Amino acid sequence: MARAGGITNAVNVGIAVQADWENREFISNISLHVRRLFDFLVQFEATTKSKLASLNEKLDTLERRLELLEVQVGTAAANPSIFNT
Amino acid sequence: MAVPVEEAIAALSTFSLEDEQPDVQGPGVWVSTERGATNSPIEYTDVSAYRLSLSEDTKALNQLNTLIHEGKDMASVLYTYRSCVKALPQVHMSSGFGNALQVGWIDNYLKPWEFAGIMWQLPDSMKQSQADLYLETYQVLDLEMSRLREIQRWQGSAASKLAADMQRFSRPERRINGPTITHLWSMLKLLDILVQLDHLKNAKASIPNDFSWYKRTFTQVSMQWQDNDSLREELDDLQIFLSTRWAILLNLHVEMFRVNNVVVAEVMVVGHGAGDEGSKWGCRRGVEWQCSSCGCVRGGGVVVGGREMVVVGWWRQRSWKKALGVEDILQVLIVFAVESLELDFALLFPERHILLRALPVLVVLATSSEKDSESLYRRVKINRLINIFKNDPVIPAFPDLHLSPAAILKELSMYFPKFTAQTRLLTLPAPHELPIREAQEYPLNPMNQLVLLKSMDGADVEWCKEVKGNMYDIVVEGFQLLSKWTARIWEQCAWKFSRPCKDAVPNMSHEMVTSSSDYEKVVRYNYSSEERKALVELVSYIKSVASMMQRCDTLVANAVWETIHAEVQDFVQNTLATMLRTTFRKKKDLSRVLSDMRTLSADWMANTSKPESEVHCLQFLIYEVVSGGNLRKPGGLFGNSSSEIPVNDLKQLETFFYKLSFFLHILDYTETVASLTDLGFLWFREFYLESSRVIQFPIECSLPWMLVDHVIEAHSTGLLESVLMPFDIYNDSARQALAVLKQRFLYDEIEAEVDHCFDLFVSKLCDTIFTYYKSLAASSLLDSSFLFSVENGEKFSVQPMRFTALLKMTRVKLLGRTINLRSLIAGKMNKIFRENIEFLFDRFESQDLCAIVELEKLLNILQLGHELLSRDLSIDSFSLMLNEMQENISIVSYSSRLASQIWSEMQIDFLPNFTLCNTTQRYVRSSKVPPASLQKPTIPHAKPSFYCGTQDLNSAHQSFARLHSGFFGMPHMFSFVRLLGSRSLPWLIRALLDHISNKITTLEPLITGLQDALPKSIGLLPFDGGVTGCLRIVKEHLNLGSKSELKAEVLRGIKEIGSVLYLMGLLDIVLREVDTTHFMQTAPWLGLIPGADGQILQAQEGADSPIVTLFKSATAATVSNPGLSTQTSFYTISKQAEAADLLCKANMNTGSVLEYALAFTSAALDKYCIKWSAAPKTGFIDITTSKDFYRIFSGLQIEYLEESVQVPPSNHEVLGDSVAWGGCTIIYLLGQQLHFELFDFSYQVLNIAEVEAGSITQTPKNSPFAQVSPIL
Repeated sequence: MARAGGITNAVNVGIAVQADWENREFISNISLHVRRLFDFLVQFEATTKSKLASLNEKLDTLERRLELLEVQVGTAAANPSIFNT
Repeated sequence: MAVPVEEAIAALSTFSLEDEQPDVQGPGVWVSTERGATNSPIEYTDVSAYRLSLSEDTKALNQLNTLIHEGKDMASVLYTYRSCVKALPQVHMSSGFGNALQVGWIDNYLKPWEFAGIMWQLPDSMKQSQADLYLETYQVLDLEMSRLREIQRWQGSAASKLAADMQRFSRPERRINGPTITHLWSMLKLLDILVQLDHLKNAKASIPNDFSWYKRTFTQVSMQWQDNDSLREELDDLQIFLSTRWAILLNLHVEMFRVNNVVVAEVMVVGHGAGDEGSKWGCRRGVEWQCSSCGCVRGGGVVVGGREMVVVGWWRQRSWKKALGVEDILQVLIVFAVESLELDFALLFPERHILLRALPVLVVLATSSEKDSESLYRRVKINRLINIFKNDPVIPAFPDLHLSPAAILKELSMYFPKFTAQTRLLTLPAPHELPIREAQEYPLNPMNQLVLLKSMDGADVEWCKEVKGNMYDIVVEGFQLLSKWTARIWEQCAWKFSRPCKDAVPNMSHEMVTSSSDYEKVVRYNYSSEERKALVELVSYIKSVASMMQRCDTLVANAVWETIHAEVQDFVQNTLATMLRTTFRKKKDLSRVLSDMRTLSADWMANTSKPESEVHCLQFLIYEVVSGGNLRKPGGLFGNSSSEIPVNDLKQLETFFYKLSFFLHILDYTETVASLTDLGFLWFREFYLESSRVIQFPIECSLPWMLVDHVIEAHSTGLLESVLMPFDIYNDSARQALAVLKQRFLYDEIEAEVDHCFDLFVSKLCDTIFTYYKSLAASSLLDSSFLFSVENGEKFSVQPMRFTALLKMTRVKLLGRTINLRSLIAGKMNKIFRENIEFLFDRFESQDLCAIVELEKLLNILQLGHELLSRDLSIDSFSLMLNEMQENISIVSYSSRLASQIWSEMQIDFLPNFTLCNTTQRYVRSSKVPPASLQKPTIPHAKPSFYCGTQDLNSAHQSFARLHSGFFGMPHMFSFVRLLGSRSLPWLIRALLDHISNKITTLEPLITGLQDALPKSIGLLPFDGGVTGCLRIVKEHLNLGSKSELKAEVLRGIKEIGSVLYLMGLLDIVLREVDTTHFMQTAPWLGLIPGADGQILQAQEGADSPIVTLFKSATAATVSNPGLSTQTSFYTISKQAEAADLLCKANMNTGSVLEYALAFTSAALDKYCIKWSAAPKTGFIDITTSKDFYRIFSGLQIEYLEESVQVPPSNHEVLGDSVAWGGCTIIYLLGQQLHFELFDFSYQVLNIAEVEAGSITQTPKNSPFAQVSPIL
């Protein structure tokens, strides 16, 4: 097929191209929104993780405090005589 | 129980997506499986729909693309090839190689999973299993060699296919459309891959090495085999292939000019000539072919070339004069490459590198004959080529391998002798350092634009369009910047590799001065501190811009697409239409092409409000624009004015043409960003690993770690926040190892390094943070008047640094893991603080009591540092840690580590060895007591950060501490009180008082002994003898001297009692002061006023104290105001105020410690009252025979005084003034002070001396006894 021929059926191709554009618009819309959903999920995960991290930090502190208190109470309970003065 | 979707969404929408983590790390992992628009996912099958008769072209294109794909795999196999031989047991057979049998284990086996089987069964039965060993070795090596064989086979087929492709598309009589631009690109890419493969093969030394091993084992193994000729032949083939430099290119050259040997005779001759001359290389196939063909060719010599070779593509039919070989397409490729490089607009760096790598080879190929060269240089002036080569003397090819065009040209011109002599111009590239300039102008406005973009819903259409257009421009600019930066890094990297540092280890320290490996020379010592800094900055530019672009991907996608669509449509519907109407009306062919273009891409129906359209097919549009409506002409793509197209239109077409090629990158948004910011190449070092013969380099040589290390060591405020950026390089290289190189072991190595690095990083960072806060605290606690008067005070000030961003990092993305850096740092900090406290106590324990002031100072610094740090990081409270390290967490224990240390120190060292000085109120270590008497742990050594931070601050604080290290006095007492607090202080007091009573108990028998030694009776001293006479009488009667040991013991005991009592006095003063301060602070709140005689009075009898009233009224106010939500807390506060009131009031009237101590002593003395102060039987005062305590003490005193005036006064420096304090206190408590004053020998002597002085001479009173004047 020589170059000189060009697009043989310009009208048909034109219609097809038009349809193609529309399809592509649809597809791109869908894919963009899927990606946005995905983005949201990623961001959600990130936020949740940092919130969990701060919660974890607080729990850690509390745990330590509790541990300390437990030890203190334990030492006190081991020597009841001190309180029976 | 399902939640309705609407509710769920509503609930989600309240979820705050705010994230307090700052952006100081790279984008981390790219979650993108998107294949680029630059690679057609459907292999261009939709091209045929456009009916442009491109099926041939498409087919060829796909074929090339498959080859490219395969070639990349081959290259990565070759690049990651590691020598197996090193891992094999080295067996030198006496039979085979004339050596004694010897098995050497080279323990750096690199792929253990392949050898595990044979490695461990060898040693015991080697002789027998020689054959087995060979077989096993052979099998192992065969696996590796088969890969090489595959590469050899592949390059053969690739070369022939590429050659065929080129030939087909340069033959006009085929009358096919093409090659298209995409096709040209594919050719270039394939060529590039072949070049890279060749270069790798040349560079890798282990491959021939392995091969020769393989061949040896093969000879051994194949002896048993029947038919091994074909195998042997194949082996020879492979050997030639492996040992020939540039074998692939030579082969390609041969392939290219083989098929049309009849037509292009000269090329053939040339080719053969080259073959003859370089006979030692010779590819077998090539040689055979040359032999068979050269005769006819040489005879027939058809002259071609020398004629203007023209047009590719669409004009070709008209101007085509001669049937030609591949020269024309080579020239087209060269022209294309040169123009693209010179224009440098639409090229991202990977493409630019491809062109740069392929160009020298193209030039070599295209100039195989004189005439070809001439025709080439007619189209492309040689200066242009030389300029390009000069500007980029070193082109990165693989992470640690570079290509140098000059070298290629030089080397290949040996094989292609006709290549013009002009290459020598290339041999001297201009010195080409690549300084990274620091201040790159940042694209600062994107954020504003993003905000605009978000806000434009429902806004004016025109304005929207403008905003979107700006967005597009910003994206383009971003890509270009990223490309420029990354290319810079890569080029600098290649440049550094090509220029190893000359003088190894100039500034680095002592170790390993002599033996720095090649890699160290190239990387570790090759980057100066400024260069590292610049590199870090550039890396963080790249990474932060990348993560920003990645984050707003979905935001801008729409705008960008719309802009592209609008531009395309504008071009197609307006510009083209205009062109069609005006210039091209007369030219049928041209106008048809243009209308084809319109048909192809016009989106007539699109409504302009929301013309969101996928522009993916623009790839084919370019394809069509360029090949269908081929705009290219000889002499340049657009530069020729000879055509019929007017300049104006040409200009428009040209602009659009280049825009189109960039559209693709923008459509591939994420993919492009990812590939542009991939800095993984900074890690890989396969080539150097091989040449250095080590398993892996230490991490000090690893560039990413060097950067991290530099940031931490540099203590530069600006750089600190980019410290996480270089870690993203590891992410990149791990991804490359898995996705591109597809080598698990590389990933494992990276992972191991990352683990190690991150641990190191965290510990180094923590040290830095700790040191910083510590020195900040230390410098703010320095005396301000000192700072004012000192000369170079600025060395004590601390340069501010910001760790806040790093301390907020809860999610560091590393190799797909998420690391909570904040909690790691917090944990580490907790540990460091505890260690530091521990260290301070250790240090105190190894010193004497005087160090208590220093201890307090250091603890204060630590506490302030802790306070500063805990503003940004939640760590354990300081008091908790202090208690923990003091071991008094238990609420029923009142001693602490510090208190017991102080106490034991007092017992062992302080009380016996320190002497009191009345005047200064200080205790000083007695010089007479040997100091070595007690065993102390040596002062532990620690980093400067465990003292005050920096060396300067350390010395400053040290000089302050030194002021207090020689004595014990008031400041030490204050430290005692502050450090021990109200919890342990009573314990210490009690211990000291017990010590007094113990001492009294131990004194008792000694005193009895002395009582025995007293003379039966001793009366008042007579005045007649004068002072000397008196003293003689005393000496005669008191023969306590005989009991000198007893005497010394008693004196020492009394001294200790005196010391303790004086200590109590000091403590009392200090406590009073503290109490007074406390009172001043609390009195206004409690409504107390001091009364007339030191009593404390309530200001308003019966009423509440001010603090209670205040909070009660506040609570009442909140009750009356029901809107307030914090009522309960106010109530709590008021309750607490009452409690505080009670507690503080109860604490107000603290007694005196000294009084208590005296009472205690007196009680302890009660037991011995009868023995030490016997009531006289007569009822009168017993003058001569009394053996009461005061007598003893009086006797002791006078002897003691006598000794102390001797020329070297011996006793006083041992005992000091506390003896008097102790003795007098006891006397007083026993109620004997009047007796003592009456009958004391010293007083009597004094009286006599006074009388004597008054009566005989008026000598001035310089009696040494004046210094003793105990007043109680």
